[in-house]
Amino acid sequence: MNLLVAQAQQIEAPQIDYGAIAPLLVVLGAACMSVLLEALLPKHQRWAVQLVLTLGTLVGATGALIFYATSERPAQGVATLAGAIAVDSPSLFLWATLLVLAFGSVLLIADRSVEPGGAFVAQAAIRPGTIQDRAQATKTGMQTEVFPLTLFALGGMMTFVASNDLLTMFVALEVLSLPLYLMCGLARRRRLLSQEAAVKYFLLGAFASAFFLYGVALLYGYAGSVKLSAIATAAAGTDRSDTLLFAGFGLLVVGLLFKAAVGPFHSWTPDVYQGAPTPVTAFMAACTKVAAFGGILRVLTVAFENTQWEWRGVLYGVAVVSMVIGAVLGLTQTDVKRMIAYSSVAHAGFLLIGSIALTPEGTAPGVSATLFYLLAYGFTTIAAFGIVSLVRNSDGEATHLSQWAGLAKRSPIVAGVFTFLLLALAGIPLTSGFIGKFVVFSAAIEAGLAPLVVIALVASAVAAFFYLRVIVLMYFSEPAPDGPTVTVPGAFTTIAITLGAVVTLVLGLWPTFVLDWAGTGTFLS
Amino acid sequence: MSLPAVDVLSQFLAQQPEPVQRVVDTVTTGEAIAFWVLGPLALAGALGMLFARNAVHSALWLVVTMLSLGVLYMIQQAPFLGFVQIIVYTGAIMMLFLFVLMMVGRDSSDSVVEVIRGQRLAAALLGIGFAVLMVGSVGRALTSVQSKGLAEANTTNGGNVGNIGTKLFTDYLFAFELTSALLITAALGAMILAFVGRDGKPARKTQKELVEERFQEGKRVGSIPGPGVFATANSVATPALLPDGSVSEESLFEVIEATDSSTLSDDLAEVAGTGHQPDSHALKGSES
Repeated sequence: MNLLVAQAQQIEAPQIDYGAIAPLLVVLGAACMSVLLEALLPKHQRWAVQLVLTLGTLVGATGALIFYATSERPAQGVATLAGAIAVDSPSLFLWATLLVLAFGSVLLIADRSVEPGGAFVAQAAIRPGTIQDRAQATKTGMQTEVFPLTLFALGGMMTFVASNDLLTMFVALEVLSLPLYLMCGLARRRRLLSQEAAVKYFLLGAFASAFFLYGVALLYGYAGSVKLSAIATAAAGTDRSDTLLFAGFGLLVVGLLFKAAVGPFHSWTPDVYQGAPTPVTAFMAACTKVAAFGGILRVLTVAFENTQWEWRGVLYGVAVVSMVIGAVLGLTQTDVKRMIAYSSVAHAGFLLIGSIALTPEGTAPGVSATLFYLLAYGFTTIAAFGIVSLVRNSDGEATHLSQWAGLAKRSPIVAGVFTFLLLALAGIPLTSGFIGKFVVFSAAIEAGLAPLVVIALVASAVAAFFYLRVIVLMYFSEPAPDGPTVTVPGAFTTIAITLGAVVTLVLGLWPTFVLDWAGTGTFLS
Repeated sequence: MSLPAVDVLSQFLAQQPEPVQRVVDTVTTGEAIAFWVLGPLALAGALGMLFARNAVHSALWLVVTMLSLGVLYMIQQAPFLGFVQIIVYTGAIMMLFLFVLMMVGRDSSDSVVEVIRGQRLAAALLGIGFAVLMVGSVGRALTSVQSKGLAEANTTNGGNVGNIGTKLFTDYLFAFELTSALLITAALGAMILAFVGRDGKPARKTQKELVEERFQEGKRVGSIPGPGVFATANSVATPALLPDGSVSEESLFEVIEATDSSTLSDDLAEVAGTGHQPDSHALKGSES
């Protein structure tokens, strides 16, 4: 034993570029602080302090990000913490996107005017339907732990899009998922539905994580390392059996596509989107999508770029399946939240087209297009869910489509904004949705995926039908006498919806600035 | 001074043959025997876990699998991993698991009703298909791989544990630190889902406050008398009798109507000393 100990050398600590990862450290540090506040503060002070801390964190992290992005930094990015985290241009873009989208989501989460006391239950541990539960329904407290959970999820997402090896990526995947599973089950109304959503998401998510981990193990067996660049090197020139590589790739991608709610791995999406509290749904739909596709883009372009001809056909098929499922099943939905969920499945298909648009020369025109699409889609979705939370009757949100009939006569402004957002989701010109689809499809054509683009255009047309159906329903139907009322939102929800709608409009009219920024650099390899 | 168990453990961990002695890509007879004993055991444990109806049985089957895997790790030159598997997984986590199962109630078993027709058959077919695909592809891929062995990692630079530690604090430092976020979230989640606070209810009174309150109200301070227990009755409805033979009202529970006094007349008489006196011949029976 002594002999072995004597052999051990002093280990060298890895270099850490604190400036580059400052936004990440701020978010994770604030999340820990937020947990402490939860323990130390009396109940009535928590909401205000947590809100200030969370919003301050987001602003501070964005500030750190802007400071680093505008300072002197290597053009191709840096890999810090022994190569575990890669801070390159796409990372910075994705971080900025996540932070800004999280800002909007936190505003929705914190709102207490639309639903008195907020969308979250006062005490989640009380069983639904009991006497105690009925007693707490009249109280206005909320489970303020959602704030630290949001920050942890955000920290996980930021790590996920920047992780440069598969092990860090796996831990980040868990860090982003676990808080989301919890937050899904905390709805104030329809608690059983909410808890069911949480259990479904948790079980299926754990299953998907297992796939991801198995994939990582096989890829480690193939390349002898979990670093993305090492996998690329191993795949470039080797006489090793490719079976491990492709089996590992398949399993890894299943885990990633599950989180992104793509195609045949979407089965959790409608139930979870419907059951979760609407602000959490907005957070999941916008930020999780960004994180998952950020991860997919990095894995595909850094680790598997050499082998694209082998896997491209598979993801091609997945994209088609995703678009068809989203568009066709979206048509049959009668619930607004489920409809947006299926629309997100269709959008995941469009995003996947951008993700697999790699040219044989090794450039990836799809990366900047997908980044832009993610930003645009995130803002539109947050605003759309913000609107959904406003249409209410005595049971809470009135999400059944028939209840939305004639909404324009009750509240022309809300109906008008929602119409605009639905048009953006459908991809009508003058909205960010159109520009997003346009850049993704042109990148795909550049990469030789023209047939896929044709399928995508047909799917968009089919999907546009169900958005238009809602618009027609809102404007050309008579409102039911006992229909829902439109709540006048407080400042937070108003800001979140306005932010989403304005960004959707601005990116539709002047997308150049963001497009240029999204295209400034490639992934560090 | 150190504990004997720690000594044994450290000696085992330190017990590494010289690199030259180690033949990396041959399987010794002992290893083969251990594999063919433990492999089927691990598989049987996994299947048992799936098919056991009772959750506690499932957990115990899983323990079998984990123990077998732990020993297999040790045989395959990964002693630290093997010990961790047994101490942490089987020892700590599985026992915690059993505690939780016991708390939740062990009779809650799975529903066997199929919600979607043919779901179980389809799931079984797909599962078996997936397993065949994985075993086939991994088996095929691994037959062509040259095994490397852990001889080098286990003998240089601090050995097995030392190298794991070095990796943990250099290459995987961030993943290691990030795990803390996961643990905090898990703890927070458990609190949210299980802890019911006392807000809205007044704080519980202390013992001292209760005593003072009782004296201030001027009520009876001592305990009230219990019901009477007589030869003929021991029901709570039986009143206690005071020394003078009268019924003690305090011994009667308010909601229970007291037993009819006529059924107690013998006992009353006995206490008052007016009943028939004991007969010294009574024990002899009727023959006398």
